[in-house]
Amino acid sequence: MGLDYTIFIDYGPKILEGFRLTLIIVICAIFLGLPMGVLLAIGRMSSKLYFRGPSVVVLEVIRNTPFMIQIFLLYYVLPFYGVRLPAMLVGILALALFSSVYYAEIIRAGIAAVPRGQSESARAIGMSHSQSLRNVVFPQMWSIVLPPIANQTLSSVKESSILATITVSEMTMSALAVQGITFRPFEVFIMITLLYWLLNESIAFGVRHLEKYLQTRRGHRATTERTAVEVESSLEAARRMTR
Amino acid sequence: MKFDFSYTVDAFPRLLEGAMITVQVAFLSFVLSLILGTVLTVLRSFKIKPINIVIAIYISFIRGTPVLIQIFLAYYVLPVVGIDLSAFAAGILAVTLNSAAFMTEILRGGLASVPKSQLEAAHSLGLRTWIIWLKIVLPQAFIASIPPLVNEFTLVVKTTPLLAMITVVELMRVSQQIFSSNYHPVEILIGAFSIYFVICFVISRASVVIEQRFSMRRA
Repeated sequence: MGLDYTIFIDYGPKILEGFRLTLIIVICAIFLGLPMGVLLAIGRMSSKLYFRGPSVVVLEVIRNTPFMIQIFLLYYVLPFYGVRLPAMLVGILALALFSSVYYAEIIRAGIAAVPRGQSESARAIGMSHSQSLRNVVFPQMWSIVLPPIANQTLSSVKESSILATITVSEMTMSALAVQGITFRPFEVFIMITLLYWLLNESIAFGVRHLEKYLQTRRGHRATTERTAVEVESSLEAARRMTR
Repeated sequence: MKFDFSYTVDAFPRLLEGAMITVQVAFLSFVLSLILGTVLTVLRSFKIKPINIVIAIYISFIRGTPVLIQIFLAYYVLPVVGIDLSAFAAGILAVTLNSAAFMTEILRGGLASVPKSQLEAAHSLGLRTWIIWLKIVLPQAFIASIPPLVNEFTLVVKTTPLLAMITVVELMRVSQQIFSSNYHPVEILIGAFSIYFVICFVISRASVVIEQRFSMRRA
């Protein structure tokens, strides 16, 4: 069975349209998921039980269940309570919720990586808890957490393919549609495999450069050897939970 | 419509049957990928250039593409090149190949934790290479990698519902079958959701226990 090149030409635009939607979904999910992740991280570290309790429950439940069933549940539960949203929006919401849990873990490690003395001094000069977080801890944390957060994008791109199961017309869905028309799985799946691979390799390339750039910039700052090792191991643990 | 818990209760026995298949699939893929991952790790440590390039491309491919696509490739594309597998076998193959790539990365970390001096000592005692691997390096590498390996097992469990897409009748597929005939998706999915949660939660908590047992042996 030879390759049928006409499929690439005839259905390429349709696949690329799916590729565009995949990108939009992932970008929306990142911008929605990050604030949720920050909130979950702060909640998780709060000393008050009514903040910490719900955060821990959300983190554990999302982390210990498959993404596919989370999407299905969201897709069927929302109409159950009278909320009717297009599949695309449900997909973005689900992906944002899913990623926020992993962002939260990374941000928690990042906050812990900022030396305690910093937030203590902020409190000592009269800042409130939230002020010290906003003005002292967060600005120092971003350069530490940015590479792992960018790395998380890889996983978001990959998870977004599962949105095809609730008929979101992203790249996997468009491939399945073309497959249904042409009955040529080989050409179709090769096409999207290469596109996903290319996209993810370029993101990984970008992340590596970002990492290097931030490392040389951070070099000037006084971080002790010990905290550097601790940061690395706690970020590694956060990274390990997803792939 | 109101949430009717009796649907969840009625469906529960069938959901549990599906869960048994899920656990079987996950366990089988996990064991196979552990074997494949170990073989790849050992191969890679010999530093033979062409082999390492092939392994690097394989890992990049697995990391760079969604599991769902890998499952589709195994089920829809392999028959085109003459390898016709059942849905079950194609599913196991895809999940195994996927997990093995991550397993190799995990074991590489475990390998790094074995002190170099032990290898030198073993060599100077005149032990054969395969004995050194089997008795000295691998056992320590495995014990050092227990937490990420257990985590990998939960990741495998969380990958299995995707096999429903290629008609493997595991927990996800069973719940789809049930709610497409009784039209109560929320009740049924909550049931399946809880079962997945219990499986993964128990496994991830078991990690602590396993680690303690082995750390006692190590001490």
